[in-house]
Amino acid sequence: MKRTLPQSFVLYSGLVVVLLIIGLPFWWVITGSIKVPREIIARVPTMFPQSFTLQHFEKLFQSTDFPAYLVNSIGVALFSTVITVALALPAAYAFFRMRFPGRAALYRLILLAYAFPTIVVLIPIYGFFAKVGLIDTRTSLVIINVAFALPFSIWMMRSFLSTVPREIEEAAVIDGAPARVILLRIMAPLIAPGIASVAIFTFIASWTEYLFASVLIVSDARRTIPVGFAGIIGQYQIDWGLLLAGATAATIPVVILFAFVGRWFVSGLTEGAVK
Amino acid sequence: MAGLSLKSVKKRFGDTEVITGVDLSVEDGEFLVFVGPSGCGKSTLLRMIAGLESVSDGNIEIGGRDVTHLDPARRGIAMVFQTYALYPHMTVAANIGFPLEMAGLGQGEIDRKVADAAKVLHLEPYLQRKPRELSGGQRQRVAIGRAIVRQPDVFLFDEPLSNLDAELRIQMRLEIARLHQKLKSTMVYVTHDQVEAMTLASRIVVLRAGRIEQVGAPLDLYENPDNIFVAGFIGSPRMNFVTTTVSRVADGFAYVNADTLGLKEIAVRLRGAVASAGETVTLGIRPEHFGPNGAGSLEGTVSVVERLGGVSYVHASLADGSQIAVESRDSRAYQAGQNHAFAFDTDRALLFGSDGRRL
Ligand SMILES: Nc1ncnc2c1ncn2[C@@H]1O[C@H](COP(=O)(O)OP(=O)(O)O)[C@@H](O)[C@H]1O
Ligand SMILES: [Mg+2]
Repeated sequence: MKRTLPQSFVLYSGLVVVLLIIGLPFWWVITGSIKVPREIIARVPTMFPQSFTLQHFEKLFQSTDFPAYLVNSIGVALFSTVITVALALPAAYAFFRMRFPGRAALYRLILLAYAFPTIVVLIPIYGFFAKVGLIDTRTSLVIINVAFALPFSIWMMRSFLSTVPREIEEAAVIDGAPARVILLRIMAPLIAPGIASVAIFTFIASWTEYLFASVLIVSDARRTIPVGFAGIIGQYQIDWGLLLAGATAATIPVVILFAFVGRWFVSGLTEGAVK
Repeated sequence: MAGLSLKSVKKRFGDTEVITGVDLSVEDGEFLVFVGPSGCGKSTLLRMIAGLESVSDGNIEIGGRDVTHLDPARRGIAMVFQTYALYPHMTVAANIGFPLEMAGLGQGEIDRKVADAAKVLHLEPYLQRKPRELSGGQRQRVAIGRAIVRQPDVFLFDEPLSNLDAELRIQMRLEIARLHQKLKSTMVYVTHDQVEAMTLASRIVVLRAGRIEQVGAPLDLYENPDNIFVAGFIGSPRMNFVTTTVSRVADGFAYVNADTLGLKEIAVRLRGAVASAGETVTLGIRPEHFGPNGAGSLEGTVSVVERLGGVSYVHASLADGSQIAVESRDSRAYQAGQNHAFAFDTDRALLFGSDGRRL
């Protein structure tokens, strides 16, 4: 279908508006992080930096615990992501393919996990983790992140699995492939976009998780960025330059992840399989 | 290599019985074709033989071994799907080699067998391509390659040519026939296309609504159908049917009349079942059994003439409103709108009772 000129105009103006709404805060944060303090708090804000300095980043990485928080966050988020994907894929396949009593009911039930306000589950979980000695460990955060990401991830992956034509799986069954091989060698490559979606969802949820990280972690050296960073802000009044530099630094791993995983978002993976 | 036998096989989906008791025995090396209208249960039956669908009742044996509850991979079968069902992320070579890899063969042996299969199927230049870089016919050949490398006892095909265009379909049909001559394995082939069935089969199984209507060699079904369904299904253009009344029965012949159509005392040989005077029966005449020297004749008005060059198909409407198709070698003899008496060979005509059974 060809677009007329007015249609194109409306389309592109819409795109520009959306781009501004989403992009401006980022622009503000990133450019702010390299402005000298005087320019940041100037009465008339500058759209384009008039000055350039790395002093905020120097301070962030040399005189705060930010590097430790960064390492903690990356570790927690990576482990949470890998474990979630590794569990969600077989679980989704089981819901998709295996016949067992209560399958439909159980499948509907798993999303019920999100029905409880987090704060309600926080207290019993704290009590439980205290008993098993998980308080003040990064492992506890990984467990929490996986537990919260898993139900949704299973749902998402199951719906991706259902887009794979059934005959492909049946052909593999006839070819003598066991379920594990079908899942890993046939299905997983064909639902790469689904795996990527789940990975990004889990990574970002873990990356930004605040409540549990603030309660379960006690020592400063084990904090993740959201909690640790809140400390930095309080600790040294409001140092806007430091705040913006920290915010910038915190988004970089996410950007790298997108660049890496984004390549999996390709369409037409099953093209040529059937028809 | 092995034969195949089905013993009162049934399939229910919930409360609906889709296959209502099929008994069948297939000889080693036979090319058996299931044919029938869409939805009659051909795929379901084939999938039960493959083990992709459970059997509700009865049992299935392959090579004398009861496989009713065996895994598909252990039945000694290979299947080619209508939709090819290739692994889209693997190369042609990996697709064809996959069953061998699953069987635990070494890479050297896999490569050799894949190369052999590729040679048979003219796929050698495409081994490193992905399925999406192939044409429909090439994709289907890859699917066949994946089936033949395993050297199965029984090949199962589910409408493998339906997704191809007409020309390619004829070409692939020939290739499959050649493959059968070369491999001499048992093949079970599903199609809704009676031409495919006639040309490929050593025996045809005509299915309707989950049961077998007739089993036989292609020409047997054509010349000697058991019932009106098989008579109408096999042959193209299909057999003409006109309603007549029996006036008398004598010496193994029934004499039938249809006054409004110009049929008077047509003698039709009875096969076995006895007709009685006064009974309403259906007279079946194939289009090619019309001809100038026939003993019977039907009066009708030509509506359309399809001239194919060598032969023409003359479509005419009869006084009772029914339509007939008449094959003619004389392409210029008929014009739309004309009235004609179409003579036919009464020796080749068939009679069917009101329940559809051949008389
Ligand atoms: N999984 C299923 N569940 C319920 N009904 C089915 C299923 N598969 C096939 N059927 C029904 O069984 C009948 C035969 O189907 P099928 O074997 O695919 O027919 P064919 O291959 O002859 O066209 C159809 O009426 C179809 O609707
Ligand atoms: Mg079918």
